[in-house]
Amino acid sequence: MTDEPAKGRIRVTNPLTTAPSHVRRSVRQEIDESTGVGEVYMRSLIRSQLRAALTVATTLLLSIGTLPLIFLAFDSVTDFEVWGVPLPWLVLGAAVYPALFALGWLYVRQAERAERDFADLVEPEES
Amino acid sequence: MNTTYGIIAVALVALATLGIGAFGLRLSRTTSDFYVASRSVSPVWNSSAIGGEYLSAASFLGVAGLVLASGADMLWYPIGWTTGYLMLLVFVAAPLRRSGAYTIPDFAQVRLQSVGVRRVASILVVGVGWLYLMPQFQGAGLTLRTVTGAPNWVGTAVVAVIVVINVVSGGMRSITFVQAFQYWLKLTALLIPVFFLLHAWTDDGRPSPVAPTAWFQPFGEATGPGLYLTYSVMVATFLGTMGLPHVVVRFYTNPDGHAARRTTLIVLALLGTFYLLPTIYGVLGRIYARDLLASGRTDTVVLELPSRMIGGSTGEVLAALLTAGAFAAFLSTSSGITMSIAGVVGQGLTRGMGASTRPAWARRISTITTLRLAAAGGVLVPLALALSAERIAVANSVTFAFALAASTFCPLLVLGIWWRGLTARGAIAGLIGGGLCAGIAPVMTIAWGPEGWLGVLMSQPAAWSVPVGFGLMIGGSLLTRGDVPANVSRTMVRLHTPERLDVDRQF
Repeated sequence: MTDEPAKGRIRVTNPLTTAPSHVRRSVRQEIDESTGVGEVYMRSLIRSQLRAALTVATTLLLSIGTLPLIFLAFDSVTDFEVWGVPLPWLVLGAAVYPALFALGWLYVRQAERAERDFADLVEPEES
Repeated sequence: MNTTYGIIAVALVALATLGIGAFGLRLSRTTSDFYVASRSVSPVWNSSAIGGEYLSAASFLGVAGLVLASGADMLWYPIGWTTGYLMLLVFVAAPLRRSGAYTIPDFAQVRLQSVGVRRVASILVVGVGWLYLMPQFQGAGLTLRTVTGAPNWVGTAVVAVIVVINVVSGGMRSITFVQAFQYWLKLTALLIPVFFLLHAWTDDGRPSPVAPTAWFQPFGEATGPGLYLTYSVMVATFLGTMGLPHVVVRFYTNPDGHAARRTTLIVLALLGTFYLLPTIYGVLGRIYARDLLASGRTDTVVLELPSRMIGGSTGEVLAALLTAGAFAAFLSTSSGITMSIAGVVGQGLTRGMGASTRPAWARRISTITTLRLAAAGGVLVPLALALSAERIAVANSVTFAFALAASTFCPLLVLGIWWRGLTARGAIAGLIGGGLCAGIAPVMTIAWGPEGWLGVLMSQPAAWSVPVGFGLMIGGSLLTRGDVPANVSRTMVRLHTPERLDVDRQF
């Protein structure tokens, strides 16, 4: 581009040709053309989805991941019985599964919401 | 145990499998049907099929056997196999579906624009598949021997033959029906006997299991190896599930990314329901079938309990039902893995032969023919291994397949989907390095069986081989930073934007 004319010279142009275009570019176009703006949108979508995924992974690490250490460290936990069944058996044999499903359900809700928000941003509903 | 009921049960499952497969054959017309059921399977069907495919001999027989033998510590296996799906859901499900590829090698090529990565990934798919098929075939031999007294190789050969017929005739669409049917068969087969067994146990005055304290408590023998093994099993199963080729190929049959997520969520519910049951069998086995421990046949506890606790014709019918469920487990898992091996090998062969120069109809026929040949060929090696190798506990040997998948495909998928910086050379370094580490372990354990800490590290390699895989992949990519594919932004758009947006997804 020759935006910067040499010193001492004055560029003579028709004002209409340099005037900024009034056509509004949609976010979809920005993404399709991989412009800086499009990239920012994409990165924010990916980051929010990755954050949701990492939240689930961290929760797993801090819950199921620490169970072996808890069982190892606290005898009172392993000795505790509910209806004659030792607590570790109840936790590992049954309670874990509904918890995993609940975690998955929360994640799907969050991920779908992020995608809906993104879609609304890119292609706003014509009102 | 009465052999007639058992043989009838096995025959019925085999016939039903082949029958449903034939029904699918009438619908299976094009290559796309053959590979991925034309991507039109609804979430409920698909998740039943995934459940049916995933619940293998290790889940149906192995978990109960391990619980009988080792108690509370073994509950980590089913937990890991379920949590693996949660990891798959959050890290790969929707983007993998949106990538639009058929298999992991396809994904690697689409994402990294490299035929080299494709080749390495194809070889690894075959490796993981064989490691997974071997215990299935062995379990089948063991089951048929328990039920009918036939030698081990009979059951192994029966399963291998049915699987090849099934895959060769109908491909993925028929497999979807077969798998979905088999999930519900497996759940029923395990659920109904539980009520009878628990009733018999109550009548018996609810005796407690007789076992050392170590059996009742996780880490009853608190040692370094014990803790290492538990965490290594966790790493392998949490991260390995997403890289199992027969699991991943199922995601391409979803209509879109949204459906892929819903499917995975339903799978979590289906698996969670199923895994409540094997523990009950294991504990009851500790009470009523402790002699199996001495004879080293703990994997058969599920099949033995009804005749021991109930007896009579009720016991025999229940045993037959369990046999049917076990056979469904072998057939469905083996079919799924064989299908994915055949898909990868078949694709590799057709492309290698320069198929693009031939007319469309010839290309299609030859693709399907290659797929069929690959299916038959892919079964032979694990069949030979199953017939020759010494038996190790089913659930243990399956973990080697998980560890290999976790050390190679997990880094490839996770980094490929979430990190723009992954390069082809970095990916190859990670696949080969992680693959070698996790691949040497089963060879060492089976062929040599080292003692002490080396033996412990080799028996469950995931805790060290997964970091190696990730490390090499990240390190290699950082060293070859200039190689990042030019179209990585477009690929990211394709992987992450919801389908309803009309954005440009072309490469």
